[in-house]
Amino acid sequence: MNRKRILGGVIGIFALAFVGCGKKQEELNLFTWDGMFPQEVLEGFEQETGIKINYSNFNYDEDMLAKLEETKGGDYDVVLADDYIIELAIEEGLVQKLDKESLSNFGNINPLYQGQFYDLTDEYTVPYGVGIPLIVYDPKKVDFEIKGYEDLWNEKLKKNVAVIGSHRVMNGIALKTLGESFNVENLDTIQKAGNKMLELAPNIRLISDSNTQDYILSGEVSAAFMYTSQVNQALTANPELKAVYPEEGLGFGIIAGFIPSNAPNSKGANAFLNYLLRPEVSAKCVEFIQYYSANKAADNLISEEFKSMLVLPESITEGEMIQNVSAQAEELHGRIWEEFKKACE
Amino acid sequence: MKKKKKGSYIYLGILLFLMYLPIFCTVFYSFNESKISSVWGGFSLKWYKELFEDREIREALLHSVILALSSGSLAAVIGTLGAFGMSKTTYKWNEVISYLSTIPIMIPEIILGMVFLGVFSFLGIPLGMGALIIAHTTFCVPYLFVMVQSRLIGMDKSLEEAARDLGASRIRTFFDIILPDLIPAILSGLLLAFAMSFDDVVISVFVTGPRTNLLPVKIYTKLKTGVTPEINALATILLLATILCIFLSDYLGRKRNSRTTEKNF
Amino acid sequence: MKKKKSNPVVWTLFPMYIFTIAFVVFPLLYMICISFLGRSDTWGVIPEVTFEHYKKIAEPLYRETFLESFQVAFLSTGMIALIGYPFGYFMARLSEVWKKRVLLLLMIPFWTSSLIRMYGWIIIFRSNGVLDQILMGLRITKEPLKLLYTYPAVIVGMVYALLPFMILSVYSSVEKMDWNLVEASRDLGASRVRAFFTITFKLTLPGLLSGVILTFIPSMGLFFIADILGGNKILLVGSIIQEQLTKGRNLPFAAALSVVLMVLTSMLIGFYRKITHTKELEGMF
Repeated sequence: MNRKRILGGVIGIFALAFVGCGKKQEELNLFTWDGMFPQEVLEGFEQETGIKINYSNFNYDEDMLAKLEETKGGDYDVVLADDYIIELAIEEGLVQKLDKESLSNFGNINPLYQGQFYDLTDEYTVPYGVGIPLIVYDPKKVDFEIKGYEDLWNEKLKKNVAVIGSHRVMNGIALKTLGESFNVENLDTIQKAGNKMLELAPNIRLISDSNTQDYILSGEVSAAFMYTSQVNQALTANPELKAVYPEEGLGFGIIAGFIPSNAPNSKGANAFLNYLLRPEVSAKCVEFIQYYSANKAADNLISEEFKSMLVLPESITEGEMIQNVSAQAEELHGRIWEEFKKACE
Repeated sequence: MKKKKKGSYIYLGILLFLMYLPIFCTVFYSFNESKISSVWGGFSLKWYKELFEDREIREALLHSVILALSSGSLAAVIGTLGAFGMSKTTYKWNEVISYLSTIPIMIPEIILGMVFLGVFSFLGIPLGMGALIIAHTTFCVPYLFVMVQSRLIGMDKSLEEAARDLGASRIRTFFDIILPDLIPAILSGLLLAFAMSFDDVVISVFVTGPRTNLLPVKIYTKLKTGVTPEINALATILLLATILCIFLSDYLGRKRNSRTTEKNF
Repeated sequence: MKKKKSNPVVWTLFPMYIFTIAFVVFPLLYMICISFLGRSDTWGVIPEVTFEHYKKIAEPLYRETFLESFQVAFLSTGMIALIGYPFGYFMARLSEVWKKRVLLLLMIPFWTSSLIRMYGWIIIFRSNGVLDQILMGLRITKEPLKLLYTYPAVIVGMVYALLPFMILSVYSSVEKMDWNLVEASRDLGASRVRAFFTITFKLTLPGLLSGVILTFIPSMGLFFIADILGGNKILLVGSIIQEQLTKGRNLPFAAALSVVLMVLTSMLIGFYRKITHTKELEGMF
């Protein structure tokens, strides 16, 4: 008796596992980081079109690329990721061209963020948000004014700095302090930046891509180099903190959406991207993710509270993007980073 | 003598307290009004409300339960039969296979995850629930196998022989005599396997597909984008559910035991 | 089929053999193959045999990381053994009812996310967090300790995550022990301490050692602890594998690192078998 009951239970579970797959509702597989959309935006699209959105996540761009490679550009319909990885995906033929006819809102995009290195002709991507990592510090704990990256090297900040966990960004700011570009190919120059990085090590308290705003708010560190959304969260929670646009030059990155080459539902994918480009939807999204808006038509719809944070000041038009470099340069960057981490303890 | 015992109680008590300390802190902060986890903004239940309205979390929970149950059961079948077969045969390969089968819990998970992603696409197995079940079964099998094996070693063989002498088939003997004796071992193996599957992030991240959000992966990605008290609320609910399940199974077990004893008398 | 003379029990072996070969042995071989291939510019490998990845591991940077990771693993395993052995021992001496209760208490945390539990430690350790409040409240310290993102914090995390494995190994070993031997030695006049070291400790050594293995090996791979509690500054072999796999996009190098780690791990298990003369890890749970 008992055995049968157990058997029945097991079969029931398996049945349950496959029921979900049996239904024939139109679906859209969305693949990006967690927390990229307010729930109402996704629900709005579902109600309008009757397409069910499956929202799954990755943590690193590279995980996403690995997945796309292994599935040969199938499985997913819309992917949102960082600029440099999109360039690689396009190079590998894992991205399909947008259907411009159905993208009636394409004109809303701020031209500043079009024609960038990863998609020079704007055939593949729709920018979603723009990030500029900034330095944030607590003036109560730092007794000098931080103006640029160079100040992070200041001895007074010993064991008091949090930085981003991306080797290209960090080696990049070292390059900037030397007056070089993020994307230098010369190995000697990169090595010079690497030596400079080792000098930064004594000041590092932690290296983190996530929750950096928490660390500065709780007083764990007194200065931090962090991503845009974190800057905004930190300033909202404690307006006395200071955000610095480093004088050596800004680096910016674009998060953009694209459709993988063998997307099961590319029609739905185009419809979704077009939906995201609507000014009112876009405004909701940037208010939620706290990145700079890439949608010119949405700029005016962003509420006053956030406007100063989410619409990039006109004065800032110059910034350099981090691009993919040659394999040797990339390798050296990786090595510098690991040496830097080791030196940090 | 008494004094000595007291000392050991205190030791156990202090360590258990330390083990639960971070959990209590997590529970406490689930009632934090403020979104920033380092600031206490007053008591609030809003994160629980948010949690219950979160469709993705609900789906992820369902998927994780299905995954843990199916890979656990699959592992139970494979592990039990394997341990049983090995106890009855003396092939040279038995030892090799039993060692190899424990490798998945002996090496860092990240290696397995990476390898599975490659192998599944090599074999043409689509990423998703099927792939996840296979991957999770690999690290569930050792738990079941070892548990059942150690139970088989200590088992009384006379009953089994008697049944065979009385003419019961091998299959009947297995189901009527051996299996009931193995059930406790299988269950405790399953409990561990469920827990491991339910907590696995690293392997799942690599083999999960577009329609299979999993709870631990969701938690991991949420922690990356910012720790909000919603995660703490989720942990609290999981903790409560675990305790509830344990009490329920304990209660049912006791009830059944009392019923069987009644029958016996 | 029954008419054939072959033992039908053989069939019960099939699922285990097939599954292990298909989903454990084959993937591992696949990984070994990959580790000898060249790296493609984006993600994956190119068909070109090379030993460069293994040569790279021998470079000081990675060699030192292996050493450092071993150090972390040794230290945490040592702590775990010191803390866990008495726990497992005392636990096995409790009454049946209490044994069950303590066992349950040990198991419950397993069911909540291990990641969330690690974040619980952040709440305790951070500046002006729970620990600082208590210590400053008791006037033991004057200012925040800044314990988070240090070496000790990582060790605490490791001990916390892996302690139950040690406890359960020791516990099941003590449970199985024949207490008559201890009593006999006591009757023959051995002191309590002596009886413990000559009899109890010896008999439970397999449990202790299997606990050591079950904690030592994962402690080289638990990169998220080094990430969350160590502020990403302490490099474990697991962190490098992860970094190479994600940000470095270097699949074959990650595979080579994994192979080396696995070989070292297997040597450790072989060593365990040699000194305990057992085939299986003692009472894994």
